[in-house]
Amino acid sequence: MGEGGGNSRNNNNNNSNRPAWLQQYDLIGKIGEGTYGLVFLAKIKSQPNRGKSIAIKKFKQSKDGDGVSPTAIREIMLLREINHENVVKLVNVHINSSDMSLYLAFDYAEHDLYEIIRHHREKVNQSINQYSVKSMLWQLLNGLNYLHSNWIIHRDLKPSNILVMGEGDEQGVVKIADFGLARIYQAPLKPLSENGVVVTIWYRAPELLLGAKHYTSAVDMWAVGCIFAELLTLKPLFQGVEVKATPNPFQLDQLDKIFKVLGHPTPEKWPTLVNLPHWQTDQQHIQGRKYENPGLYSVVHLSQKSPAYDLLSKMLEYDPRKRITAAQALEHEYFRIDPLPGRNALVPCQPGEKIVNYPARPVDTTTDFEGSTSVQPPQPVSSGNAMSGSGVPPMVAARPLPRNMPPMAGMQRMPGPGMSAYNLASQAAMGGGMNPGGIPMQRGAGGQPHQQQQLRRKDPGMGMPGYPPQKSRRF
Amino acid sequence: MADFQTSTHRAKWIFTPNELVEKYKVSNQRAIKMLKEYGSTRIEVSADGSLSYPEPQLDATKVEKRSHTKPLSIEDEQLMRVFYEQKIQEVCLAFGFPQKIQGTAIIYFKRFYLQWSVMEHHPKNIMLTCIYASCKIEENHVSAEELGKGIQQDHQVILNNEMLVLQSLGFDLIVYAPYRSIEGFVDDIEDFCQANDQLEMLKDLKETAKLEVDRILLTDAPLLFPPGQLALAALRRSNEVHGVLDFERYLGSIISRQQSMHTSSELIESLNLIYSLLVKLKMPSSDDMKPIDRKLRYCLDPSLQDDKKREKRSKHKSKKSSSEKHGLPSSTPS
Repeated sequence: MGEGGGNSRNNNNNNSNRPAWLQQYDLIGKIGEGTYGLVFLAKIKSQPNRGKSIAIKKFKQSKDGDGVSPTAIREIMLLREINHENVVKLVNVHINSSDMSLYLAFDYAEHDLYEIIRHHREKVNQSINQYSVKSMLWQLLNGLNYLHSNWIIHRDLKPSNILVMGEGDEQGVVKIADFGLARIYQAPLKPLSENGVVVTIWYRAPELLLGAKHYTSAVDMWAVGCIFAELLTLKPLFQGVEVKATPNPFQLDQLDKIFKVLGHPTPEKWPTLVNLPHWQTDQQHIQGRKYENPGLYSVVHLSQKSPAYDLLSKMLEYDPRKRITAAQALEHEYFRIDPLPGRNALVPCQPGEKIVNYPARPVDTTTDFEGSTSVQPPQPVSSGNAMSGSGVPPMVAARPLPRNMPPMAGMQRMPGPGMSAYNLASQAAMGGGMNPGGIPMQRGAGGQPHQQQQLRRKDPGMGMPGYPPQKSRRF
Repeated sequence: MADFQTSTHRAKWIFTPNELVEKYKVSNQRAIKMLKEYGSTRIEVSADGSLSYPEPQLDATKVEKRSHTKPLSIEDEQLMRVFYEQKIQEVCLAFGFPQKIQGTAIIYFKRFYLQWSVMEHHPKNIMLTCIYASCKIEENHVSAEELGKGIQQDHQVILNNEMLVLQSLGFDLIVYAPYRSIEGFVDDIEDFCQANDQLEMLKDLKETAKLEVDRILLTDAPLLFPPGQLALAALRRSNEVHGVLDFERYLGSIISRQQSMHTSSELIESLNLIYSLLVKLKMPSSDDMKPIDRKLRYCLDPSLQDDKKREKRSKHKSKKSSSEKHGLPSSTPS
């Protein structure tokens, strides 16, 4: 870790502000951006995984001056405990000690459902084949079932958070990503609004829209239902116009869109409905409107007798307690009839089926790693050699630096790069006594904060009429 | 995560007694070696979270002089950890935090000092940061400023150490404190006893057991045994007081229901070991801490010793206050 430092810098990209740990990667460019921060594509430089693609998610520093971003911590702590084929894999955590920001390194996935759906809608002009829809849905449910059985609710499922692996041994495997909002639900969960979080409303369950205070795993299943419909029709099922106000305003339009398709919920079918705050306080608005001829089947072009329709309608059940669970959904008849779901969702097993070649993820090579243009002249940086094997914390040959802590005798700041890596993959070593020397201990020229000149790339999704900017697209 | 079986807690943070002894020895010796070679053990954490180590002493006579600085023994370190773990409980109680916050903070603190000697990072600072991190993880967010204010400590110290602590924990942040297991076992005991008329007694059983857990958390037991066994040990102790059930029979019923890998005698042996750790637990008082704390101050800043030689003892008081100004530990932590 931190090797390959010294004064010779990565010559692929002559940016002097690169942290030392980044030198184990070839940085390709920015692939995503959201409220949490930025995502970059990089390739591993050295064996044994040479050339392997990695997505590096950079969290913004928390603004309130209250330490490490809780979102980042939450995502890491959950991902550390999770291990499932259909959940994105965290391979490394890197730390920039100069500004306390965290970088998560994930196995890179070339595709996501947002891009796949968009490609079919705009380029192929043809629906996604049944095998792919079913395989992606099955794997999504499989991953979700794992999460739910481990008491984790994702809370922010949407097409851009459902990744699909590109070429390689995991081609066509679905990975659930972005656990920034995920929660363990053994304890009562606070409403998202209390944490000041805003998520896309299109996939939000009706109980939440009506003001339910606590989350259950059923909210994820509602989102899966919305995604299933979108895979079938290539259009978001409930495209409500979001009311932007804080905190957590009542989203009448979103409910209106849902009721138009599914009809009015009734206390007969959904007994706890009457306890939901907005149902009571907004009687006039919600209960006053009349909705005729609900027709989910006609919106998604499915026969009411088809297993696909049966499964979809069970996911879009109003009463969260009656809504189908991930485990039940995996057992549904839909997955037992032809075409059977497979591991490679992108390449159908049946011969004769057309294989769609999805485009590679667009990479913005103009934004540098710090998300800004470099304003610092090149500065020499010494190597960190963070994972020393000896029992004594490594002592880098000290350069004379002015002491800025006069009262401390015998102390000196270590010159060096502002970053060091903490390799989760080498965690085995921790049981046997992690060397505290593996803790980053340098700061210096490398990680100087510099002016933020964001070169925001327009998201490819933004141009689409009717599509709100996908601010929170995750790689 | 509700599944302890697949957790990082189980996979990476439960040790054998020998492993623990070895870890404590390694970090103690590393700090001692640093003291010998560099005259100080203090690893400074600055505002940006980076660490600075003492610089090598070029002046051999100084090192010679300072080599007289007495390092903390492994036993000293142990006592000091227990002292600050108690402090964690006091602070959490004062803030009215839920018990799991306290449990998580103590487990963080214990794990941290598997990697480091108290001579390298002062436990007072680490204790505060562990409480802060525990609040963040358990969704009971308290700002560093609030926390610092509540106990009259500089909150910047908490923030400076946060990344260090998270990293030293390997980002394995989900921990299983035994309090939840107690709830589960007491529900189970209710069924086992079919004790509809004993609800009051079960409540007493539970409350006393939780107090026992508070004490068990101060021993090495949380690093040696899974939370379920800690909870059972606490319940068994509590049952000795309240006499609610035939505990051996209850343990037998657990074993038979769980088709577990353990035999009844193995489980009982574990509980006995936890019991013996409890019996051996020494609760250090502030007075017990004084000589250790003095040693620690000299380890962290040997210039104090140089000063001492120069100055008269009568000046001790003013020196102490100046050391406090620089954020050095005082002998009687609040």
